[in-house]
Amino acid sequence: MTVAPPTEPTSAPASLFDRLTGRTPAPRSDQAVVVLHDVTMRYPNGKEALRDVDLVVPEGDFVFLVGPSGAGKSTLMKLLIRDELATHGIVVVDGDDLARIPRRMVPRVRRKIGTVFQDFKLLPRKTVWENVAFALEVTGTPGRRIRPAVDRVLALVGLTAQAAQYPTQLSGGEQQRTAIARALVHDPRIIIADEPTGNLDPVISWEIIQLLLRINELGVTILMATHDAEVVTALRKRVVALEDGRVIRDEAGAAYHRED
Amino acid sequence: MLTFVVFSLRRAWQGFWRNALMSLAATLTMVLMLLLLSGFFILQNVLLASLGFVEDKVEVVAYVQTTSTQEQVDELVGRLESMPEVASVEFISRDEALRRFQEAQAAQGRDDLTKYLESNPLYASVNVKLRRPSDLQAVSDALQPDNEPIVRNVLNIDALVDRVTTVTGFVRTAGVVMVAVVGLIVLFIIVNTIRLAVVARAEEIEIMRLVGASDAFIRWPFVFEGALVGLLGALITLGLLAAGSEPMSEAMVGFFNVLPLQLGSLARDTALIVLATGLGLGVLGSWVSVRTYLIR
Repeated sequence: MTVAPPTEPTSAPASLFDRLTGRTPAPRSDQAVVVLHDVTMRYPNGKEALRDVDLVVPEGDFVFLVGPSGAGKSTLMKLLIRDELATHGIVVVDGDDLARIPRRMVPRVRRKIGTVFQDFKLLPRKTVWENVAFALEVTGTPGRRIRPAVDRVLALVGLTAQAAQYPTQLSGGEQQRTAIARALVHDPRIIIADEPTGNLDPVISWEIIQLLLRINELGVTILMATHDAEVVTALRKRVVALEDGRVIRDEAGAAYHRED
Repeated sequence: MLTFVVFSLRRAWQGFWRNALMSLAATLTMVLMLLLLSGFFILQNVLLASLGFVEDKVEVVAYVQTTSTQEQVDELVGRLESMPEVASVEFISRDEALRRFQEAQAAQGRDDLTKYLESNPLYASVNVKLRRPSDLQAVSDALQPDNEPIVRNVLNIDALVDRVTTVTGFVRTAGVVMVAVVGLIVLFIIVNTIRLAVVARAEEIEIMRLVGASDAFIRWPFVFEGALVGLLGALITLGLLAAGSEPMSEAMVGFFNVLPLQLGSLARDTALIVLATGLGLGVLGSWVSVRTYLIR
């Protein structure tokens, strides 16, 4: 009588919370979370916001997107959440070709992407807790699963004590941390942050960057558009520079400005 | 599914009260517009009823020879009743005609002068009510002495009837056009008001989109909220109409002497129209307004 060799249990991909609590190590895979191939974006008014952009972001990467205003950073982010469709080229997020998925699948893709903005986009009439819970409520999460999920992300960003306060009672940094908690609550594969420190003073900015770095260490890919040269240069992460809709520089361990 | 319905209804309710001023403004607009619409609808019905009242007065009166026998008269009545244009036929004998004349005089408070008469001077008549006043000519022709020997003469009211039918036809068409125009105006104003309420919440909708809410989760709370505004507006309108119906019908009785309307069926129709319009426009308005914010 032969005994079948014990097979490796195929577990579901570890959730962010498991990773946060150290139950599973962060996955290290070479799979790209974001792929842009030959992407051109022309708005109906004829303006070309992106031209022939190629970009591959592997899972777990931390990418700074730099460049002057109007270079196409925001357009690129809009393409990733499929707020706009590329005029030409392919945009793939976590294996989904955004031009090919049916409309009704778009919300599912968006739940894999956490978004953070310069102006926080918090609802002023909801408390910190309610603002984060809102992201789960509007995606049909059953009530009993909302409470533990919200409590955990608030603990992660360090806002447990402020849970019952309204955004207007918070400092800018705390508001942005609320927004990051909201972005995290869906357990996303990637966080795209559009100038998340643009409204914050340098010390608070560093706090936010530290938080994003910690989230990145837990395996979440981060794509951050910024003008903050000091932060970019100090961290020596991958830098993608856009100008006039083209990628003019893409190097790892780089500074804000070209160093030749 | 249950989560979705509970969520949508709760959000609709919250949305209504969190933005109470906007919601009340929308509801008030709804009430005013529904009052306007139902006012025109009732007016139209009153008009139609009074036109019908006037048209019912149109009848062909044929006076009958005093020499004719009861059999001849019965035969004539039978022939008339079989005509498709005829609604009803009434034979008025000479005695009956005199009695009615006396009654009419008494009702107008005049002295009864008939007692000074030696004999009854009135002719018996056949009074024919028509289905449509426009058939007057055909029936009148059929009753001419050439065709019906026992008929003495036919009362000639052609010119009057012509005028009445022209006026009533015009008023009917104008009434329908008015209700349609008012309906369109009401539609645009209500849709616009609800649009304002939705636009005021654009920020919230944007966040919902960003965190991956499906179209249904974005749309239905607003649709329910629109329905709530519509329903509330309709109920308030019906309350106001009910309060106003008593003095209104009294005024009408004063004007026409009788109430030329089936008040029950008019009230039912009005209630239906107000409810359907309120709900329908509330739902339609929010459906259209929220569409701009859904996935492209």
